Amino acid sequence: MSEMFTLADAALKVIQDRRSIREYTDEPVSEQDLDRILEAARQAPSGENAQPWRYVIVKDAETRKKLGAIAGGGSGRRFTAEFVTKKMQERFTGLQDETKKRAAFEKLTSGQVSTFLAGAPVNILVCGKKDVWDLPYDTSAAIENILLMVTALGLGACWVIAPCIDIRDEERIKTLLGLPEEFKAVSIIAIGHPTRPHRPRPRLPIHELVFRETWGEAYYKEPA
Amino acid sequence: MSDKTLPLSYSNNLIFELEKAFYDERGKGARFRVTTVGQRYFRERCLPKLASSEISDILGTVGSLLKADGIAAEVSWVNEERLLRVRVEGCVHRPVEEAMLAHGVEPFTCIPANLMVLAIEEKLDRPVELAEIKLEEGGCALLLVVFDQRPTLG
Repeated sequence: MSEMFTLADAALKVIQDRRSIREYTDEPVSEQDLDRILEAARQAPSGENAQPWRYVIVKDAETRKKLGAIAGGGSGRRFTAEFVTKKMQERFTGLQDETKKRAAFEKLTSGQVSTFLAGAPVNILVCGKKDVWDLPYDTSAAIENILLMVTALGLGACWVIAPCIDIRDEERIKTLLGLPEEFKAVSIIAIGHPTRPHRPRPRLPIHELVFRETWGEAYYKEPA
Repeated sequence: MSDKTLPLSYSNNLIFELEKAFYDERGKGARFRVTTVGQRYFRERCLPKLASSEISDILGTVGSLLKADGIAAEVSWVNEERLLRVRVEGCVHRPVEEAMLAHGVEPFTCIPANLMVLAIEEKLDRPVELAEIKLEEGGCALLLVVFDQRPTLG
């Protein structure tokens, strides 16, 4: 039986239910679902209504494998650099379980953390037109719309910046998918049917995030 | 157009201001967008001189060129398995890194390092990541990671 929500409650529930999903079943994403996801993206706000976004839908398994390899390579390089400078170890000081910590280090430094693009039935490459003022903000708004619609449809997605963050990897993506020079590869969104439910990741408490009138005084009281 | 030589401080100040502005916009992620800065110099000056595919020869060639062109006074390195520890002394761009540090920003790009990365990637097709730039007395200590192979694209 479907639950009843007000529009505001439904919107908040979709926002709160969104997870970064990295494991997918083999079930394909239907064209109807993809239509709604892309319509959500199309409705995003943009500065001067420039709508600088373009999307490349990648379903071909071989191409997804290549995208996964580029993403994994980029992540592996960056996380290894973090590891050899001991910054990763500092970041994980809160994790007491040594086995879990080693597994996390291995997953990050090997790049496995980002290779899952290959296993997602659909990869959406989000591209941004460079000749606009607000490219990163516009495309990020479109990406959030994609993620929320994916959640509302009961699918899972992950926003993957790994293959685009380093200019060397972005060039490989652009070459692989034939992007023209005037467009930037912004991110890849991996989409599919989740293999299992995921718990929410922790969020900072609201009283640490919001200030009253000027920076400093908390807008919300810290709970006793 | 005047052919008068520009003061080095003028160029370095501009580089610093550009780097700082970019950092202010992109934060820690800025470092990943400048990994190929120096590639024109690399293509025109370094690449034609890179004959060998041995890492020590590649680094030696880049180091010699940096010295010959007056960019650095001395370049030395030590290999520790996949880690490459490079020391660059007398670099003309050192004031840029000092200015970044003075403004509370960890230096995030280094032209000599980029040239070495570009050279190894070009000649050996092995990925390289600049992990750290440390300003030391008399020179900069660079830490690079040289990976065995590029992840297969199938």
